[in-house]
Amino acid sequence: MSRVLVPCHVKGTVALQVGDVRTSQGRPGVLVIDVTFPSVAPFELQEITFKNYYTAFLSIRVRQHTSAHTPAKWVTCLRDYCLMPDPHSEEGAQEYVSLFKHQSPSVTFPKWLSHPVPCEQPALLREGLPDPSRVSSEVQQMWALTEMIRASHTSTRIGRFDVDGCYDLNLLSYT
Amino acid sequence: MLQEESDLSLIIAQIVQKLKGSNLYSQLERQAWASLQRPEIKLESLKEDIKEFFKISGWEKKLQNAVYSELSVFPLPSHPAAPPEHLKEPLVYMRKAQGSWEKRILKSLNSMCTELSIPLARKRPAGEQKELLNKWNEMGTDEPDLSLFRPVYAPKDFLEVLINLRNPNYENGDSLSFRTHLGLIQVPLKVKDIPELKECFVELGLNIGQLGIDDSTQVPPELFENEHVRIGQKVLAEQDSAAAQQYIRQGSPTALRAELWALILNISSQPEDVLYYEQLKTNVIQHDLLVDSLIYKDVKLTASNDDYYFVFEDYLYQVLLCFSRDTSVLSHFAFNSASPPKSYIRGKLGLEEYAVFYPPNGVIPFHGFSMYVAPLCFLYHEPSKLYQIFREMYVRFFFRLHSISSHPSGIVSLCLLFETLLQTYLPQLFYHLREIGAQPLRISFKWMVRAFSGYLATDQLLLLWDRILGYNSLEILAVLAAAVFAFRAVNLMEVTSLAAAEKKNHLRELKSMYLDDIVKIHGLFWLF
Repeated sequence: MSRVLVPCHVKGTVALQVGDVRTSQGRPGVLVIDVTFPSVAPFELQEITFKNYYTAFLSIRVRQHTSAHTPAKWVTCLRDYCLMPDPHSEEGAQEYVSLFKHQSPSVTFPKWLSHPVPCEQPALLREGLPDPSRVSSEVQQMWALTEMIRASHTSTRIGRFDVDGCYDLNLLSYT
Repeated sequence: MLQEESDLSLIIAQIVQKLKGSNLYSQLERQAWASLQRPEIKLESLKEDIKEFFKISGWEKKLQNAVYSELSVFPLPSHPAAPPEHLKEPLVYMRKAQGSWEKRILKSLNSMCTELSIPLARKRPAGEQKELLNKWNEMGTDEPDLSLFRPVYAPKDFLEVLINLRNPNYENGDSLSFRTHLGLIQVPLKVKDIPELKECFVELGLNIGQLGIDDSTQVPPELFENEHVRIGQKVLAEQDSAAAQQYIRQGSPTALRAELWALILNISSQPEDVLYYEQLKTNVIQHDLLVDSLIYKDVKLTASNDDYYFVFEDYLYQVLLCFSRDTSVLSHFAFNSASPPKSYIRGKLGLEEYAVFYPPNGVIPFHGFSMYVAPLCFLYHEPSKLYQIFREMYVRFFFRLHSISSHPSGIVSLCLLFETLLQTYLPQLFYHLREIGAQPLRISFKWMVRAFSGYLATDQLLLLWDRILGYNSLEILAVLAAAVFAFRAVNLMEVTSLAAAEKKNHLRELKSMYLDDIVKIHGLFWLF
C-alpha cells in the first residue's frame, strides 16, 4: 500500500467574524483554511497530515460533486475534533497530526475520517508504572524479533572525540 | 486500535534497534550458543528450550530490565512527519529561546578564552600527563590560581531567561488582566493540579507508610520499617527494575539504597564498564580542557565549602572530568532541547570533517553543577560505579533542570507548578511576598535547579531522590519547594523584604529541617 503525496494548494486563513473586523473588540475564534487539489486525476485520499499551530478544534468540510447536473454540496466529515485538550495551555498546540481513512468499508464517504493518531505523549510512561505483565509480554514480542535478526557486533562506542588524534581547539563555533 | 498496535510495533522496533548494538545482546547470543552444550536443550524444541534456559538462568530478567530502562529513558517514537528537533522540544519558541541562551553561553566561553589567552582544548605534554596521572587520587590538594575564571552562568542568570519567556501566540498585553500570571513564569504550560498530583503520587498519601515518617500511619514505625526492609531485600533478590522502582516510592532503607538505585537505573558495572571508565580517565590525562578549570572552580565554590560534601572533593573531580570526556552522553541530546556546542580542530575552521563537539560530552557546567554528583558519593565508593550512576541520573533527570523546554519535568514546568501551587493554596502568602518584592520563585529557584542538593540534610535529600527515581519525574521538587513555603508560612507573613525572607530561620537554612516535617506538610496538600 504505497502512499503518494498529493499536491495541494493551502490558501491563507480567513477569519469568520460577525460585525466589522476593524472596530469590533473581540477577536474571531474561528478561522477557515481553504485547501484545493489542482491535480485533475481523481485519487483516493488516505491520510491528512499537518502540524498544528494553536488550533484547539478542527472541523473538515468537503465539497462533493455527485453529478454534473446537480450543484455541488458541502458535507461535514469531521466536526470539532479536539487537537488541544486544554486550549489555554500548550498541550497539542504545535503537534504533528494525522487523520486517517477509516478501515471499515461499510462507512460511506462523508464519515471516512476516523480518529487520528493520539497526540504523541512522551510523558505517558513517566506518569505511572506499566503493568509488569504487560511489559513482560512486550518483552516476549521483542524477543521474537531479536531472534529473527542475525548476530551483529555491538555498536558500543569506543568514545573517540578527537580527529586523527587531535583535539586542539581555540574557540567555539556560532553556527 | 490499529493505531495502537502500529505504535506498539514502532516502539518494539525502536527498542530492538537500540538493544541490538548493546553488550547485553552479544552476551545473550554467547549464552545461547553455550547453552547448546546442555543436555536439556533439544534440537526439536530448540527455541523453546533456549527461552526456558534464559528464564531459569536470569538472563531473561536482564533483558526485561534493559527494555524497561529503554522505556523509561527514551521518548516514544513521534509522528513520522515530525523532524528530529520536534523530539527535542515540540514548541518552536522554546527551541528558539534555548538556542539564544546557548549562544550567550558560547559567547561568554569564547570571550573567556580570548581574555585569558587560553585555548578551549590542548594536548598535554608528556611530563604534564605523568604528573596528572600521579596525583589522580588527590587532585583536591592542587590549588591552581582560578581567580580569573568565572562560572559561565549561575542559576539566577538562568532564571532571568525563564522569566522573559513568552509565547508569541498568546495575548499577554502590558496591563494586568485576568490572564496574566501573577508569578514570574508567563508561559501557559499545562501543570498538574492537586487532584492530578494526588493521583500521580498516590503512594505519598498520608494513609500509606513512608520511610522516615514516624506518625503517618497507625502502624508502629518499627513494624513498618522491618517489613519494608524485608520487602526491599526480596525486590533486590528478584533483580527486577520495575519492582524496585515501585518499591522505592515509599523510600529506601539506607542499607539497600545503593543497590536499589543501580537496579532501577540498570547499572551493573560489568568489566567493560570499568574499562570504559579507565578509557575516559586516559582521555582526561591526555587532553587539557578549559571546562576543567570551570569544574575545579565549581567544586571549590560549592562542594568543598559544604559540611557534608567537602570530603568527596577528589571523587568529584574524577567523576566530573571523566564526564566531560564521555561522548556517550551526546545521545541524550536527541530528547534534550539543548544542543552540544561545536568547534573545529585548530586551523581547520569551517571544514565539516574537522568539526567536533565541545566539551566531548556536549555539556557545559554551570555554577553548582558538581552538586548533582556530591550526594551520590555517599552511596558509591567505587569511582567507575559512582560515575555510571551519575551519568545515568544526568541523562534521565538532571539535564532537564537547566534546559528550556515544555517537558513536565523541565525546569520551566517545575517553576510554573511551584508558583501555581503556592498561588492556589497559599494565596495570602503569595500575594504578601509578591507585594514586598520577594517573588517566591526567586527564593526557590536555586533549590529546584540543584534538585535540593546542598539545601537538605543528606539523608533527607536521598529520601527525596528516591521519589524522583520512583516516579521517574522531577515534579516532586516543585511540590517540596511549595511545601517548604507552607511550612514557613507564618514566619514569612511577617517579613518585609526579600533579604529578610531568605534570612536564616526562614528559608536559607533548610538543613535543620527534616523532610518528614515537609512530607507532613505536603501531606496536607493531598487532603485537598
